[in-house]
Amino acid sequence: MPTYTINVNGNNRTVDAPSDMPLLWVLRDQLKLTGAKYGCGVGGCGCCSVLVDGDSTRSCLMEISEIGDSKVVTIEGLSANGDHPVQKAWLENDVPQCGYCQAGQIISATALLDANPKPSDDEIREAMAGNLCRCGAYGRIHKAIKSAAEATK
Amino acid sequence: MSISAPFDRRTFLKVVGAGSASLVLGCYSADAKTPPTEEAKGERLEPNAFVKIDPDGTVTVMISRSDMGQGIRTSFAMIVAEELDADWDLVKAENAEANPNKYGRQGTGGSGSTRGMFTTLQQAGAAARDMLVASAAQKWGVEPSSCRTEKGKVYHDGSNRSVGYGELTSTASQLPVPGGELKLKQKSEYKIIGQATNRVDNHDIVTGAKVFAQDVEIEGSGYAVVSRAPAFGARLTSYDDKAARAVAGVEDVVQVPTGVAVIAANTWAAIKGRDALVMNWDIGDAAGLDTAKLRSQLKAAVGEHKQMPAGAKVVSAEFEFPYLAHYTMEPCNAAADVKADSCEIWAPSQSPDSAQGMAARALGFSNDQVKVNLTLLGGGFGRKSNNDFVVDAVQVSKAAKRPVKMIYTREDDMQHDHYRHMTHQSIKGAVKDGAPVGWSHIAIKAGRGRGRGGSDFGNPAIPYAIPGAGLLKKDSDSPVPTGYWRSVDHSFINVVNEMFIDELAVAAGADPYEFRMGLIRNEKLKTVLRTCAEKAGWGRKVTVGHGLGIACFEGYGSYAAHVVEASVEDGEVKVHRITCVVDPGLAINPSGIQAQMEGSCCDAIAATLKAEITLENGGVVQGNPFDYDWARMDDNPEIDVTILEGGGSPGGMGETGYPSVPPAIANAVFAATGKRPRKFPIRMDEVE
Ligand code: FES
Ligand code: FES
Repeated sequence: MPTYTINVNGNNRTVDAPSDMPLLWVLRDQLKLTGAKYGCGVGGCGCCSVLVDGDSTRSCLMEISEIGDSKVVTIEGLSANGDHPVQKAWLENDVPQCGYCQAGQIISATALLDANPKPSDDEIREAMAGNLCRCGAYGRIHKAIKSAAEATK
Repeated sequence: MSISAPFDRRTFLKVVGAGSASLVLGCYSADAKTPPTEEAKGERLEPNAFVKIDPDGTVTVMISRSDMGQGIRTSFAMIVAEELDADWDLVKAENAEANPNKYGRQGTGGSGSTRGMFTTLQQAGAAARDMLVASAAQKWGVEPSSCRTEKGKVYHDGSNRSVGYGELTSTASQLPVPGGELKLKQKSEYKIIGQATNRVDNHDIVTGAKVFAQDVEIEGSGYAVVSRAPAFGARLTSYDDKAARAVAGVEDVVQVPTGVAVIAANTWAAIKGRDALVMNWDIGDAAGLDTAKLRSQLKAAVGEHKQMPAGAKVVSAEFEFPYLAHYTMEPCNAAADVKADSCEIWAPSQSPDSAQGMAARALGFSNDQVKVNLTLLGGGFGRKSNNDFVVDAVQVSKAAKRPVKMIYTREDDMQHDHYRHMTHQSIKGAVKDGAPVGWSHIAIKAGRGRGRGGSDFGNPAIPYAIPGAGLLKKDSDSPVPTGYWRSVDHSFINVVNEMFIDELAVAAGADPYEFRMGLIRNEKLKTVLRTCAEKAGWGRKVTVGHGLGIACFEGYGSYAAHVVEASVEDGEVKVHRITCVVDPGLAINPSGIQAQMEGSCCDAIAATLKAEITLENGGVVQGNPFDYDWARMDDNPEIDVTILEGGGSPGGMGETGYPSVPPAIANAVFAATGKRPRKFPIRMDEVE
């Protein structure tokens, strides 16, 4: 089985894995970083989102062999204590319901705000359309993104 | 074995590390007559233990029901903290393990948790407070009645003394637990209940630290997926696992009652191994069954309506609702470790107590040989009331003789659900002199399993005074397993009720809102509907092409009303705005209630406009978000929630917000287009 060294949350991690193994399972089952969740495995829900070189990426579709030198950041690596502006906005707005989708939502929101610090309502809706929240916390997700944008102005 | 706890790691450490000085108060249900002791358990209805206070002042509230996102870990803790006068910053919630002898019924459903546990939790907090006060009074040599409590401290104002709860735990734990019904606070005295309070799990959720069942670490465990029947009732005739065993990472393949399980070093290898299995199934009776066939079967079962009064104007309509999957964001999964004489389970179950019993039966164990650790649920909506997935994990662990973490892939989850019933509903009504004089509703439900049950033109559960109104519910056989889905039968019965009352209003030449107001029996519902109409500006001029629809619901001890503004653009229904007014009697956590109302609106949009489960050759066609999609952020309208408190004890909130949204959407479509959608999900090209 091939060996890969990938950069996750600032650390180089070495794993043995078949080349087609999705990053999601490398993170969850091998590196024990369980913040990214499995929701569909086909790129349709966004629960598994992680940052790959700053882009919100569906880790269930990205194969380990595709990562190369890219930098992977998971929800665990976003901040030391949950004090990233997006996380803070999530806390202030009491966003989570069941919480299962929220790591993915926060990752997508972070990628959006890094690329576009002042997104319009439509830009928010477009950027977040790939992240399903079965509990329907969309109103608060939207509001939290707005307040995070406001806070980092 | 090293395990990480199914609840917060911090809390777990705290509890494990708590010394013997912890004040563990047994709290007993309100009808207990004698002071409780350890030995008195048998005399009691259900001896409970809901509060622990540590010497460092930490208050731990044991949560005996499942939190699937509805927020009871927060609201239960708030109820206890209120009567205890705790310092909210020092309050922690900890999930109780399955133990119905200690905690009573642990099933979570029917929006019954807060309703069922409110008094017990109040009493639990009040008993703890009494003991702390008695202990402080003893220490100071004063009368307990001269002391007061606030934010985790006992005060004696007369002598200007105060002491924190933590300092009192060791002496208080020596005192007898007060028996009987304790005096509780008046609503005007509440400091915690009624305050919008953030979910206790938020920090762990936003940092990714929250442990769901799939995240539990069990030494030596394997990751498992099961290959299950492609059609309901199909039987496995043979299988070949040679290729599956050759997949790198696959460690074992075992047969279980539901199919064949592949156990591997990681989930990916387990899925790949399963794909490589050659499975031979005998489809059996379900062969050839599809949605169209079932539709005709239901339609044919309608039968005769009640007679409508002579001389009245008769209106009739037929409605069709599809099966719906629950599609919890966290698919069904459980971890199990079956040993020769014990079994430990970690599961996101809506009924850990019944999971314990089912696992024990499957293993030939007694209940006390089975330990069920309840995790947070990544969504439930009724799906996880059925513990089939827990038993699956237990069977895999038993067959593989090792701990396993069994997960349903999304396809498994969607194709092996216990679905919301598919129905055909026929309804007939009559109006005379502007008033309804007849109502006959026949609902044919297709399913097998939970939620069956007919009625013979019984109470139609409409909030309106209509003479002779009746509902006939009939079950029609189908191999498709059915279960509880948010608001259960109300998810289709109330929808038809509220669409049809609109039709009668039009037949009577009346405004749908005024028509309802003239017929509603319950004053609280009237207030809710009136407030909703006012907030939404009922009767106002809307943008050309838009329409307003109204509907209401009474149930689960609560009242709700919705006004929807919708339009049809390029053949698609677009919901622009939803005004929601809800009366839970007493609002424990307004933030949680608002979230439940918003989530219900999203559910309703998805179920009304997007999702349906169909059958082909006895199995479910849909399998992932591309063919069964739920509401997304761009489907989500502006939602305006108003909470009214009509008084009394708290009503249910998990399901109350759903049943009036789909009909309000459909009624808005009628207002916008003059067309009545009667088939769900609504597709405008099918509307006549
Ligand atoms: S799990 Fe990756 S998008 Fe759903
Ligand atoms: S919070 Fe439950 S799925 Fe989003």
